[in-house]
Amino acid sequence: MTTREPLLRGQLAIYAVAAVAAVALVTTTVLTWRPGTPLSPIVLAALAPSLLLGFISLASRYLCRAMPLRSSSATSIITTHGGSAAAASGVWIVAWNASASALGQPVPDSTLLFMIGAMLYVATVTVHYLVLEVETSREAEDAALRYRVLAREAELRAFKAQVDPHFLFNSLNAVASLCGTRPADAREMAQRLAEFFRLMLRVGSLERISLGEEIDLVTRYLAIEQVRFGDRLTTHINVDAAAAQCQVPPLLLQPLVENAVRHGIASVVEGGTIDITASLHDGALRISIDNPADPDRVVSPGEGIGLQNAAGRLNAVSDGRARLSAAEDSGRFHVEIELPR
Amino acid sequence: MIRTILVDDEPPARDILREFLGAYDDVEIVAECVNGFEAVKAVSEHDPDLLLLDIQMPKLDGFEVLSLLDRSPIVVFATAHDEYALRAFEVHALDYLLKPFSETRFRAVIERVRERLSRGQPRTAVAPLGEALRKKPLQRVVVRSEDGSIQVIPVTRVDYIEASDDAILVVTGGAKLKKQQSIGDLANELDPDRFVRIHRSYLLNIERIEKIELYAKDSRVAILRDGTRLPVSRSGYATLRELL
Repeated sequence: MTTREPLLRGQLAIYAVAAVAAVALVTTTVLTWRPGTPLSPIVLAALAPSLLLGFISLASRYLCRAMPLRSSSATSIITTHGGSAAAASGVWIVAWNASASALGQPVPDSTLLFMIGAMLYVATVTVHYLVLEVETSREAEDAALRYRVLAREAELRAFKAQVDPHFLFNSLNAVASLCGTRPADAREMAQRLAEFFRLMLRVGSLERISLGEEIDLVTRYLAIEQVRFGDRLTTHINVDAAAAQCQVPPLLLQPLVENAVRHGIASVVEGGTIDITASLHDGALRISIDNPADPDRVVSPGEGIGLQNAAGRLNAVSDGRARLSAAEDSGRFHVEIELPR
Repeated sequence: MIRTILVDDEPPARDILREFLGAYDDVEIVAECVNGFEAVKAVSEHDPDLLLLDIQMPKLDGFEVLSLLDRSPIVVFATAHDEYALRAFEVHALDYLLKPFSETRFRAVIERVRERLSRGQPRTAVAPLGEALRKKPLQRVVVRSEDGSIQVIPVTRVDYIEASDDAILVVTGGAKLKKQQSIGDLANELDPDRFVRIHRSYLLNIERIEKIELYAKDSRVAILRDGTRLPVSRSGYATLRELL
């Protein structure tokens, strides 16, 4: 995403100086000129001090940036800008005097000059503050937009990663296989598959579901994988009643449990146990998934995406307060989630 | 008789293969294997005509199984993954069954097997894997020792490879494991940014290098972290300098 060009850069700064200088030039010329005298020497005398005032007014932008309206007290803003307005006007008067005497022109009344200088200065400060406000709100808008895009991307990736198509193909192969020898089991497997996908489509469209519902989905998934892996897959699920009531983003655990089967159980000759636990600690929901995994397995390019997605979604729903950690040690893979309420 | 071995880690997948094969009087199942280790062992024991092989399995995948065979039977892959089809073709597999497959599709496979066998085509030696794997470097090296046991060594754990007569020695953590392959073929399969042919007889994992020393005029020696000293040829040194 490109950041927008800050205002008052380059050309714009030249215009600002020119505008202030032009206003100063015109007003002082009008006030000094007496009908019947030539105009051009007075314009000439006003030119240099007016340009100087233009630059001083532009420089006040830095002062404005250093003292943002939102975080500075009204008194400090008034005193600082009042002081610098007076100083700017002083410089402006001195410059006018010098320029006029050098060119042998009359000097306008100092009080009038002071008022013009101060007013122009205050007017530029007001413009600076307006521009800064617009920039700040644009930045905030950009940040909000970026955040929304990131959250949406995480959702999409998560949605795509929800189901490995090979899970479907292998499960259908199991159904085809059971048809020949155990038709009743084939029918049951087909029903399990249908129920799992129906449930997944339903919860996928929700904002939040209870952990209990997510665990229900995961249990159905594991029951299907059980048919494929037979004795190689055992599961232990231990979820506190209080934890089951907690609200979680849908399909938070499902891809992680799918990983536990695909990269874990499937990589180990003798298989093993997938352990899922969830409980409440000091009001925070803690979930852990633990499974065996061959440390020497060929790491497929997709491995780790499921974890990244889960971390991204947790971040999006908890404003960065949730924590997800994964570790692999002596043949076991362990994922831990902590979600503050 | 078509002597057949079927290899799949999922029981229902083996069931359907067995059921479909049961329809043919001229097919005999001589072994069923649930992983790659068993498959390598069963093939060398039974010397089958046909190998029905899954690809994604624990420990050894289907391609690694093939790379460990002395003689290759006719190979038909059966997998739910379509992304390996090109590789399967490159290792001269006869066919590639996508799960779930129909009985009609399976019959076509058996007919092709019969045809291939009736032509009495000589059994090919193990299909060259190098070409197929060059696109994606090996992640692990599989070695079958003389007693038939199989070792799977992730490339990160390989220190270096040494040519030894017509075979090579894969050196990992002090152990030297013999593998029937030429050092040039293996060099082609490994990641060229990690494994450098520092010498005609040595392929070195550059992460093991402690330092390179001048040994004599125009001859250098690589000293590894564990103190091993390996000769570095002039062209080997040029490649190393480019990488390091």
